[in-house]
Amino acid sequence: MSALRLAFFSLVALAEIALPAHSIFMRTQTLAKGRVWKLKAAPIDPVDALRGRYVTLAFAAETVPQSETLPRQSEAYAILKEAPDGFAVVDRLSPTPVSGDNVIKVTVNGYWTGAQRVDFPFSRFWLDEKTAPAAEGVYATNSRREKQNAYATIRVRDGDAALEQLYIGDLPLAEYLRQNPAP
Amino acid sequence: MVAAGVITPDVAAAIERHYAAVDSSRKGFGFVILAAIGSALIGAGIILLVAHNWDDLSRPLRCAIAFLPLVVSICLGLFVLRRRVESAAWREGVSLFNIAAFAAALSLVSQTYQIQGSFADFIGVCLLVALPVVYLFGANLAAVVYIIGCGLWILTMSSWSFDHPGQTFFWLFFAAIIPFYFGVYRKGRRGWTFGALSVALVASGMAGVAVTESFSHLQIGPVVFGGSFALVYLCGICRTNESINTLTVLGALGIVATALILTFKDPWRLRDITPWVSLGTEQHIAGAVCILFPVAAIGLAVWAIWSGQIEYSIAAACLPAVAFVGRAFAGSSQGALMASVLFNTYALVLGVELLIRGIRADSVTRANFGLLVVALLACCRFFDSDMSFVSRGVGFIAVGAAFLVANILFFKNRASA
Repeated sequence: MSALRLAFFSLVALAEIALPAHSIFMRTQTLAKGRVWKLKAAPIDPVDALRGRYVTLAFAAETVPQSETLPRQSEAYAILKEAPDGFAVVDRLSPTPVSGDNVIKVTVNGYWTGAQRVDFPFSRFWLDEKTAPAAEGVYATNSRREKQNAYATIRVRDGDAALEQLYIGDLPLAEYLRQNPAP
Repeated sequence: MVAAGVITPDVAAAIERHYAAVDSSRKGFGFVILAAIGSALIGAGIILLVAHNWDDLSRPLRCAIAFLPLVVSICLGLFVLRRRVESAAWREGVSLFNIAAFAAALSLVSQTYQIQGSFADFIGVCLLVALPVVYLFGANLAAVVYIIGCGLWILTMSSWSFDHPGQTFFWLFFAAIIPFYFGVYRKGRRGWTFGALSVALVASGMAGVAVTESFSHLQIGPVVFGGSFALVYLCGICRTNESINTLTVLGALGIVATALILTFKDPWRLRDITPWVSLGTEQHIAGAVCILFPVAAIGLAVWAIWSGQIEYSIAAACLPAVAFVGRAFAGSSQGALMASVLFNTYALVLGVELLIRGIRADSVTRANFGLLVVALLACCRFFDSDMSFVSRGVGFIAVGAAFLVANILFFKNRASA
């Protein structure tokens, strides 16, 4: 009985280590080998901007103009393409699986004003404790309707999308905060 | 007393053994609690120390630190299973530490590598890992944490939309802990373990019932809640020679609360009913789960009658059947009024029956509980009926007088007995 318990616990322990280790491996692979895409930040409710130690992200590409509506809360595959300004937009949405370095699995949101809303699988940019308070103001200022100066880079590899960096202007957030310290 | 000849030496030895066992059990409980608090404080302290310098660490170093408590907890777990499996304090402390270390590692890795996911996903993964740990260590505190986690998972899943798919998996998580609970239940329905597990199980289960019923679109909430609380009550009271236990109390409180809520008209007003055929497979499963509770409660009540063990309140056990009749009324015009009248009558009968059972059992608490049900029913009608102030005043005086008279009679009877 004791040996059986030990064997089972060893399996559980293996799973406990394997789960986060697998996540790390997958993410490092995507960050190292994935194709880079730039996503323009969309205006968000300033109240929602900072929750503890992360910035809530919203992207312009999450609004996909199309006549067809997809069932809310269902999963779909967003096929990305690069717009002339260098930022990624969703070329089309597929309800069936598609693979490639330009495909992100998304959750279908509502449909209004002739556009299908989708949620990308990354909506939070985690920050460290020192950066978080300053980042709140900076991100809110640079993702308003009248000034959209924030964007994020992601890497996509075989349908796995990894959030890489959040930029203000053309500077990574941390660098921007270093060059523009809060008064 | 042995010297005085009041008790024999054998009886004296038996008394000593009894109190030694009780004392040891109390010490064991205290040690378990202290071990659990100690583990939590050490873990929190380490996290705070690391958090102080967290921002200056590289990604690989952060990951190594995230894995360190997990690896330590696994080593401790192996040690406990080999050498300290008889010690409840070790098993409880290490199992909690292991679950907390896994949750911390997962969240720290996610944060470090910007790995996204919902809170429900996070809790779901933690539950999958915690379940075998609960069974392998026979850990009661970890089981309580697991059950609370189940409730948190279903509430998080449904926080944005009651129609979010995947909610019925709650019942798989929930059913997985029932054998553990049943093991504790069979050992006896007294003590902190059974009490804590019961409170967590009922609270979490009712959260699941609420979400599943809404998800099923059947609009049979009164029947499902009535059935669930009746099942809890019957599971607590059936086949027991012990006094009232936590499960019975929780079931009785739930039955009374459900009955009183259903005396109002609003819970009986039906929304637009979605046709059964237009619902998805998962909603059909949710509907089947909902129906299971009243059916199981009625089945258990009938089985108890069949085997000649009617220790329970007949009125309380009838709640799902009465709710079913009320729901049938609710579908018709004036249905809400008819159903609320039915439940006013039911709540009154329930209160009176509980009062009579209390008197028969010579229990002041239980008799007063019956009177309290009647008093609460009067209070409910005070707020929503069109009766004049005089009628309401007379009603309250009558209920208050009943309280006083019943208690005076009780204590007189006890004094004369």
